[in-house]
Amino acid sequence: MMSGLRGIIDRLSRQRGVRASLIVSEHDGLVVDSSLRFGEGENGERVAALAASIYRKARLSADAAHLGAVSFLQLDSDRGRLCAVGRDDLVLVVVAEPSANVGLIRVELFKALETLA
Amino acid sequence: MNVAAVESWIEAPLRRYVDDARARLAVLLHPSGQVMAQAGFTRDVDVMAACALAAAAHATSGELGRQLDGRAFRGLHYAGATQQLFLSALETRRGIYVCLTVFDETSSLGLVRLYFEELRRELNAAAPSTIAARPTPTLAADFETELNRNLAALFSGPKAAAVIT
Repeated sequence: MMSGLRGIIDRLSRQRGVRASLIVSEHDGLVVDSSLRFGEGENGERVAALAASIYRKARLSADAAHLGAVSFLQLDSDRGRLCAVGRDDLVLVVVAEPSANVGLIRVELFKALETLA
Repeated sequence: MNVAAVESWIEAPLRRYVDDARARLAVLLHPSGQVMAQAGFTRDVDVMAACALAAAAHATSGELGRQLDGRAFRGLHYAGATQQLFLSALETRRGIYVCLTVFDETSSLGLVRLYFEELRRELNAAAPSTIAARPTPTLAADFETELNRNLAALFSGPKAAAVIT
């Protein structure tokens, strides 16, 4: 299973503009596996905890609003983008440059999600 | 959430910590079990019990770590059905303190650990650096008196002392 997870991480990290890809436990907010290309002052544990928290809040909000399951979460900010998809307790998180192709990242995230099933 | 501290420099960092980490309860104590600050507790007896058990768990896990790994473990996490706790020591210029944090499904271990590191930094920055301000070690003979005084400070009244004596 771990090699499968490593393969998912590697494929996501190969996308142009991807600065980090992580598999995170939604419940704990802890890193299961990751590949990071951050500068100093940033770390995967911080991204994992906050991304898992955002994803869980989105999932609970969508559920409370009777909108169904969250399929894809995207957060755009000045210096980057955060994309996440989830299944069971695992959340796949990608942090990318603002110029990255979100469409391609989205496709790769959904492919990765199928691999997890 | 109500936050109270025996020493004022602890209060603001602890308040930020429980807000950011969305903790239900938190207590900061001396490794001897003497309470320094609390957040979310409404009864002094609960704080007393939490401090005694946290100090014991900290001592036990520290010794287990030393036996197994040559040094004390950094943190301890217990997950219950609905509540979880995180217990970890932090070192400041005033000495070592232990922090017990209780949280539920509105937070996560990752978030608590993340903001605990910020609490560690903020307490270290806020701690008075003068040697004169360094607390004297609590002797066994003085422990109950000190505990009563701290509980009275946290719950602002003589009832804390009345409960213990």
